[in-house]
Amino acid sequence: MSEVTYIDAIHKALSDSLLEDPSVFLYGQDIGKFGGAFKATKGLQGLYPERVLDAPISEDAMAGLAIGAALDGARPVLEMQFADFSSVAFNQLVNQAATHYYRTGVPVPLTVRLPSGGTPGSGPFHSQSMESLYAHYPGLIVVTPATVADAYSMLIDSIKLDDPVIYCEHKFLYRWLKSSSYEGDRLPIGKARVARAGKHATVVTYSAMVHEAVRAAEMLHMQGGWEIEVVDLRSVKPLDTDTIIASVARTGRLLAVGEAFPWGGVTAEVVSRVSADGFHLLDAPPARLNARDTPIPYHPKLWAAHRPTPESIAHALHKLLNY
Amino acid sequence: MDTSNEDISRDHVRKVFRAMLTARVLENKLGSLYKAGKIAGGVYLGKGQEAVSASLAACLIKGRDVYAPLIRDQAGRTAFGEELIDCTRTYLGSVEGPMRGRDGNIHRGRPRDGMPAMISHLGSAISLVSGMLLAKRLRGEMQGVLGGTCVGDGCTSTGSFHEGLNTAAVEKLPLVLTVANNQYAYSTPNDRQFVCDDLVDKAQGYGVRGHSVDGTDMLACIRVMKNAADRARAGEGPQLVVASMLRLTGHGEHDDGSYVDGELRESELGRDSIDVGRDQMIRNNFSDEAEITGWEAEAAKTVQAAVAQAQKESEPDPYQDDWRAFATPNIQGR
Amino acid sequence: MPKVPILMPQLGESIAEATIIRLQVAIGDTVSPDQEVIEVETNKATMGVTTLCAGLVTEVIAKEGVSYAVGSVLGVLEVTQEEVDRTGEQILDELSSDGNVKAVTGQEEDDDENLHFKTQDGGYHEPVTVEPNVKGLPVPTGKGGAHYISPRMRARMTELGLRAADVSAISGSGAGGRVTVEDLEQFLEHISAWPHTKASPMRLAVADAMRRSWTRPLATVARPLVMDKILDHRRSQDPKPGPALYLLRALALALAENPTTAGYLIGESVVHPRAFDIGVAVQVDDGVLVPVIRNADSKTVKELVEEYNHLVDQARARKLPEDATKHGIATVTNFGTFGLTWGTPIPLPNETLILGLSAGVKRPVWSDETGTFIPVTEAEIDLTFDHRVVDGGGAGMLLNRISELLQEPEAL
Repeated sequence: MSEVTYIDAIHKALSDSLLEDPSVFLYGQDIGKFGGAFKATKGLQGLYPERVLDAPISEDAMAGLAIGAALDGARPVLEMQFADFSSVAFNQLVNQAATHYYRTGVPVPLTVRLPSGGTPGSGPFHSQSMESLYAHYPGLIVVTPATVADAYSMLIDSIKLDDPVIYCEHKFLYRWLKSSSYEGDRLPIGKARVARAGKHATVVTYSAMVHEAVRAAEMLHMQGGWEIEVVDLRSVKPLDTDTIIASVARTGRLLAVGEAFPWGGVTAEVVSRVSADGFHLLDAPPARLNARDTPIPYHPKLWAAHRPTPESIAHALHKLLNY
Repeated sequence: MDTSNEDISRDHVRKVFRAMLTARVLENKLGSLYKAGKIAGGVYLGKGQEAVSASLAACLIKGRDVYAPLIRDQAGRTAFGEELIDCTRTYLGSVEGPMRGRDGNIHRGRPRDGMPAMISHLGSAISLVSGMLLAKRLRGEMQGVLGGTCVGDGCTSTGSFHEGLNTAAVEKLPLVLTVANNQYAYSTPNDRQFVCDDLVDKAQGYGVRGHSVDGTDMLACIRVMKNAADRARAGEGPQLVVASMLRLTGHGEHDDGSYVDGELRESELGRDSIDVGRDQMIRNNFSDEAEITGWEAEAAKTVQAAVAQAQKESEPDPYQDDWRAFATPNIQGR
Repeated sequence: MPKVPILMPQLGESIAEATIIRLQVAIGDTVSPDQEVIEVETNKATMGVTTLCAGLVTEVIAKEGVSYAVGSVLGVLEVTQEEVDRTGEQILDELSSDGNVKAVTGQEEDDDENLHFKTQDGGYHEPVTVEPNVKGLPVPTGKGGAHYISPRMRARMTELGLRAADVSAISGSGAGGRVTVEDLEQFLEHISAWPHTKASPMRLAVADAMRRSWTRPLATVARPLVMDKILDHRRSQDPKPGPALYLLRALALALAENPTTAGYLIGESVVHPRAFDIGVAVQVDDGVLVPVIRNADSKTVKELVEEYNHLVDQARARKLPEDATKHGIATVTNFGTFGLTWGTPIPLPNETLILGLSAGVKRPVWSDETGTFIPVTEAEIDLTFDHRVVDGGGAGMLLNRISELLQEPEAL
């Protein structure tokens, strides 16, 4: 059986969307003939020369242009070469795209692809996880697929949604994560999934950290028979509080894990919601595990110790289970 | 007037001037409403910039073209076809207005009619208009379409201006970008904003055609804008029009503009484009004193009606607002 | 050669850690399959940690007397690949995370991958250690200890109307030996088959008061009391005062001389009594009521007897006015009426003292005057006090003073 990767899923979702809807167009740096820094758009310009456009190195204008096109009936898919560079487009995304529907009643059907997260050797400016920043702003949907099937179906769905979607695709998963098919359960955006069932503690996480958390859960199972539940948020905005609370109701213990920086963010939001809405379900103080509070280091050894790993997740779970 | 006016139609000129006149009447009323405490937040007027504003917008056709007005473009909005009631409703916070009380004053628009609602971040509309044009190109509806937007001298210092104009040039979009160089960005004079001799020199750097015009001279503005618009529509790519004048008001009605150089006020730049325009209308037989007085009276009547109606309408009710920032029905913000 | 960790096993569903009793191997020893290499003790049992592989001990990380969390690496064996294949044991490298990183970067394989636990010089960080168990007691070591009631447990208890004392019978199976919701449900299931009745409101009120009282360090002292003079005096009166009334009056007078003894500790202040209002415990059906005699220091027994009898009658009839039981500073209780010869009564939660009187017993007492044993009626008086406020000496002096006062009943 042939295998498909996470980046294949993104490519296929783009290709299928271009085929299905003539209002879809792709815009980004090096995405045309070159096929994109990560080859997510490889070969697509050949098929749709008018609808796969190379952009100048102008993230602000790229975002503004995509928003304008979305206002005028197109469904742009904007590729930021790296999530990190979307900081240059931040104003357009959070002030123009995010506010537009509330202010004017006219939706902005824009999808912004953010190649996110760390890989060894990428350093401080090609490794960032920006989801918390965008999720903070009302009006933006922020999705963080962790599986091949989600990478496919959530990109298809993102493009179809009338609201602006920040689609955070994890670079680490691009070629490593494989599946036999693009097809999955096709859960809608806004629903979390229990990636691994358990009863002793819940790990709530998203994107690449889902796989690290599952590994940590397997380690704990092997070592002590612990059964750790892993919840894959899938989308961080909206955040599926119901699924999180239901899981904590089963386990009584929560560890929220994220690859982003530790101050605030998705894990803090998860802990805050569980503390507020599910305090009576807790057997231990809800815990968080994030990257360290420094810029993301370049050297693979520093990098691997900067982000949560199965070992550090297992360690945090040990503490949680021992409370 | 010395110049022949054969290149511009009588109707076009009359449309521009009438829009200028109506805008001035409306803005005077807004100033008075502000001072009467009827308006929450600021009031930002375009006094002195009516000629350049209206002569750009008069080249654009609502329903086909795109017009992104900025802070001092009441005249352009009127020339483009925005109803006065949209303005008074937005300033007075009527729930019936296009922004429904969710945004105010000049932050209003009707994107579906080709007029986006500005955000406060200067220069962000340049790429936005470009995107709206691009969407039309993708649909094969670009033929003869034009986009126009206006920025100020201060905006030329932003990254968005640079990125936006460069990107529009790369895509060779039919865009007229007007810089209303009114000598001050809020209180900052031009010598603290840029050091180039003339902002129009920037056009060359972006590979677009530049046009200069005396922004107080209505007929000159009309002529230059029409030329720029025709060139853009014909596929020559973005046109940068730099119009010079003085802002004849504070940054907003809260500001008396006392920092404005007295010599500038007395210079040619300090002329009021409405006075110049009125003179040009009469001297070139586009209209006469009596007709203009009639237009003014009619503007006063329609402005008063728009204010009265907006005043009578409901304010937004926090218990009725759906508080939704998402268009997708099943997506909840939390 | 592959390295296999010696791990702290899960020694029971709820065990989070165990203490190393004895290391049975040292670096350089060879071990055979399934050999016990380390003896460990949990709060439930002593057990051996075994290795599945034959191999050479290359590292011993665990230290005797220290507790380690389940899953901690206690030592390392060097084993042959055949042994790994035979047993399917996880080797140390497999426990690391970033094998996949290599796929992306094409980096050289590096066997030092377990960055979280391995130090630069190739050793291991000290695994997670926890406080040792309290030997011989089923008290666990998790930071919260067995007394910790989690928000979840508390929510369930609140739902069921249970207090900490109600679940004290349950031996917890949770982390650190604490009682889990599952333990609670099992316990409730277990006792649901037993006969039970509904507790009366009176019972619940007393329970609540006693529960609150018991949050303080209470101590009891006692001394004998010769009752004859009281009994004689009592017989001469009409109506006859109850023995508890004499006690009540003596307590009021003794406290009036030294009011701090009845003080109440709040934060850093001792709050003194404002009036010597003393209660008397009256046993009623399924509970106790404590009507209060106001200003007992300023009225004689004779003056009090009518009020006293009336209040006691009202209490027995359960017809006490609401405020008749309020604002006492101490209580007397005559548990002697039940024939009891000693007791440790508990003061009300808003009071610091309770004075108990036992049943009088005829005893021969040596009399120096007559040179013979003479019969006397002797009882015991018990004083329970809040040891935060009063010490044994102070309580003893109060008790002695009461005894002294009671030897002159006519003066009461």
